[in-house]
Parts: sequence; C-alpha cells; structure tokens
Amino acid sequence: MRPAENIEKLIKKLHYKAGAETHEKVLGNVLQALDKHEKQKSNPPLCFAKRSNGFEIWRTTMNSKITKLATAAAVIVAVLVGFHYLGGSAGSAYADVVERLQKARTLLYTVTTSTAVEGMPGMRMEIAFKEPGYMRMTMPGGYVSVMDCLQGKGLSIIPQKKQFIEMEISNLPDNGGRRQFDTIEKLRSLPERADEVLGEKEIDGRTVQGFRVAEEGMTNTVWIDPKTSELVEVEVEFNNAPGTSATMTDFRFDADLPDALFSLEPPDGYTRLEIQVDGREASEGDLIEFLRLWSSWTKDGTFPPTLNPAELPKAAMEMVKAGKFGPDQTTEQQQFEHTMKVTRAMMFVMKLPAESNWRYAGENVKFGDAQTPIFWYQPSGSATSRVIYGDLTVKDVTPENLPE
Amino acid sequence: MVEDRYLVWRFKRGSKDALRAIYQKYADELLTLAGNLLDDKAGAEDVVQDVFVSFVQSIEKFRLTGSLKGYLATCVANRCRDYRRRNRRGQAACENQAQRATPETRNPLQLVICGEELQKLSNALSELPYEQRETIVLRLHGDLRFRQIAKMQNVSTKTAQSRYRYGLDKLRSTMNGEVRK
Repeated sequence: MRPAENIEKLIKKLHYKAGAETHEKVLGNVLQALDKHEKQKSNPPLCFAKRSNGFEIWRTTMNSKITKLATAAAVIVAVLVGFHYLGGSAGSAYADVVERLQKARTLLYTVTTSTAVEGMPGMRMEIAFKEPGYMRMTMPGGYVSVMDCLQGKGLSIIPQKKQFIEMEISNLPDNGGRRQFDTIEKLRSLPERADEVLGEKEIDGRTVQGFRVAEEGMTNTVWIDPKTSELVEVEVEFNNAPGTSATMTDFRFDADLPDALFSLEPPDGYTRLEIQVDGREASEGDLIEFLRLWSSWTKDGTFPPTLNPAELPKAAMEMVKAGKFGPDQTTEQQQFEHTMKVTRAMMFVMKLPAESNWRYAGENVKFGDAQTPIFWYQPSGSATSRVIYGDLTVKDVTPENLPE
Repeated sequence: MVEDRYLVWRFKRGSKDALRAIYQKYADELLTLAGNLLDDKAGAEDVVQDVFVSFVQSIEKFRLTGSLKGYLATCVANRCRDYRRRNRRGQAACENQAQRATPETRNPLQLVICGEELQKLSNALSELPYEQRETIVLRLHGDLRFRQIAKMQNVSTKTAQSRYRYGLDKLRSTMNGEVRK
C-alpha cells in the first residue's frame, strides 16, 4: 500500500497551468474591471444614486461634531501638502526636468491620508490642477470640490443630499493655481538638502531612490526615479501629530483634462448652500476662533483637553460619553463652517515648528479666565512669545515672564 | 508576507502594477486550486477571474490580516462552491465525465505534468465526496490550516482532519486498485 505521505506528494504535483493567452485575457478582464471601478468612484454626476461606504464615512463626518475633528485632521494633511511648499528653487541637477515641469499645463496626483484615529480610515483624494488656476479634488463617495483660483470661486457637490456649496474664496494668494506646480518642484529638489539618504527600493517595477528631509514641523520622504528624475512617491508626516501622514502618488503631468471637469455649474436638481471660505494662511486668529467655538460646545465652557489633531477626536469621543457637550443644534451650513474653523486651527498648530516651543495648557480652563495662559508660542524671528489667555486675549511676553 | 503587504498597500493606492504583480504571483496557484476543485477547467478560469475582479472591487475595504495567498485561496474555494451549485442542475454528471475524458490539450487549463499516474489521481480526486476533496486541495495546494478549513466548512477542526484522512485513504486505495488493474 502506498504510504499516505506519498499520496500527499503526488497530489502536490497536480499543478494546473494556463497558457499565456489565457493569462492575458483574464488579467485584461481584471484590469478592465479595475478601470470601471475607478470610474464609478470618481464620476459623481453619473452615480449620485449609488451609496458607497466611503461616502457614508464622509456623510457621518459632516454630521457629527466629533468626527468633524477627525475629518479636519484628514483634510488638512492633504491641504497642507498642497500649500505648504511655496517658492524655493530647484537644484541644477534637476533643472531640465524642472523646466519641463514648469511648462506642464496640468497636474494630477493622489493623496492618501492617515490620521491614526480609531474608526476613521485614511481618505484617498484625487487632486487635479489645470492652468491657469483650476483645481478639482475628488473624495470617496463622489464628493467633489472644484475651485477656480483666478475667480476666487468654488463648488462642492454633496451627492447624497443632492446639495451643492458655492464658495466665495477671499484672501487667496496670487497665482494660486501655479503654486501646486511649485509644490512638486520643491519636493523634487529635496534630495539636495536631504538629512538622510534611504537607498534604493522598487516601486511598481521601478528602482527608486529615497531621501528624507525634516523641516518646518514635517518629515518628508521622497522617492524619485533616478533615470528620469520623476517623482514616484512622497510621504509627509507631521511632527506635531504623530500618526498623521499623507502619501502622494501617481503623479501625472500634462494629462488631457477637459474644462468640463472644472465646471462651476452645479448639477441639475441640486439645492444650494452658500459658504464663505478664507483662503489665507492659517493664523493665530484661527486658533482663537476654534478655542472660542470649542468652549461654546462644552457645557461648562472649558477648552479642549489637547490640540494634537491625532488625539483630539479620541478625547472628544470620551467627552461625549461623559456627557460634557451640550446638544448639537447646528445647521448643515454651520457644520461646514465649523469644520473649516477646526481645520484652519489644526493647520496653524501643525505648521508651528519645534523652535516655536509652543505649549498648550487649556485643559479644564474655562472661557473667560483672563489670568490663565492657555497657549503660547514664539513666532519665527520674534524675541517675545505670544500668549493666549483663557479670555482669548493675546499678549506679547518676554522669555523670563513665560508660564512655566 | 512583507512583499504581499507592500503590494496590497500599493494597490490600495491605485497602482495597477501592484495588481499585475499580485496576479502574476498567485494566478497559477489559484488556477491549480480551482482546477483541482472543479471538473470544468474553463470554469476554473472563470472562478479565478471572478476572485480577482471581486478583489479589485472591494480593495478599499480590504484589510490584509493573514496571508494574501490564504485569503485568495479561501475566495477561490467559496467561488468554486458557488460555481458547482449554479451548475449542478445545468450540467449532468455525464457531461462532467465527458469533460474529463476530453483530451487536456483541448482545455486552455492543463496539468503541468500530465503523466498517466497523475491523470488517474486527478480522476480519483474528482470522485471523492466534495468536502473531502476540498479539504485535501485546500490543505495541500492552498496551504490552509485545518482550523481555517474547518471554519470555512463550518465544522470542527477534528471533522476537517477526518475528512482529510478519509479522503487520502480513499485515494490511496483507488490508486493501488488502479495500479493492480
């Protein structure tokens, strides 16, 4: 009798193999399914009726005070990645590529955010830019925002509620559309000032070289194809928010992007919500507005326990469980505006460099307490620090008089 | 394992190359799995294609907690069951028999080593009760543990082990009988 293990060995030899044509056909069908799937994800006007999990997350986010904070953390990393790198010059080693880049009329890339917030998965956004100043951001579930930076106007579509938001964007920096190309240019020049050379690895069959640069509160890891000097992948981590990161991939230049993609015309049958959006760099004033807003949410008028964007949603969740918030009676429009306020405040905090020695001490302090400093930081180039007190007044304080 | 995690990570971020790499890495193993579970070899191709299409469509929600091969093998096994259920009424047993009798060269999916003994073993495997056949194939070609197979079949681990043992015994005696003939 044949021993059992011999039968097992024999069975393991029962290998089936398909011909190259079959593999080509099957893989072709799979890739076709992928294309179809991608189109369904990023084609909102044609699939408004479809309810996806991604949109559920977004919808829940927009309707909940707590997850609003998590969304803020997700969105700001994408926005920060886009607007952080301004100016700067590329090195001569990349001059020819940079020149080509400068001539590019369109730019596409994907940003995948990670917030390290439990229950808040990373958000994948597709970003498209077109000269002279158009921008389109596609989020899960068909949520689309289009901006015309020259006109200072924007349009966001909320398919689930058949609503659209018309935005009037004030204080937008000059040449807003061009800035995104500068972003890429700056990123590509990072190898010249890299703190760390990471060596080589493979991405999608391409051998790429990695460089890491820590600057201005962020750690950037850039992977570049040395043969073409093309950007392949960029990961941005925020030092003030551990676990919060954004990964940029799938960079494409000069793709054919029809003007219709950037249309500010809302779809038929949609109702309008009008919103004012401030396009300025986030500032101390935004933090103060957020602190005021938060203290209006809490029953006892206290400030948030933390300003770490990665920890804030969790802390807020615990406060909800403990019944520390009053009832949420905000309208859809107010919710959107509050999300913007939270986002801008978090942007301000996340962009503060370590040298600013910023501190937050607002936990358990009530709004109106003029004696207690709740936040202080030293602006770049200033001999004094800015101190925000519990009544939200601000004073310039010399180092020897700073709170301990 | 690390490579698979990286491929999935890349694919989740929209890399077609990562999807191609996953397909190229596992397609033949999954075809072997499906080929051994189904008598209809063209159906095996359909099953593998369906598994990859489904993988593509659910990638946003997909989280790799164990081995990618194990996950895909489980998907193939589930799809094979569905396929058999759908085709049970439409395809008479005699058709299946005819399918097996058809020279393998006419099928796009072929046994890699097509000796007489292996052909007999393949036939003997398809004569086994499906649960035993599934257990053996998932264990030896899917590299699944008995615990995982048991969970999939909704039985105890001991039952899965018994199915494996009984199946091997039957194959052994069938093969010995064939040899004696």
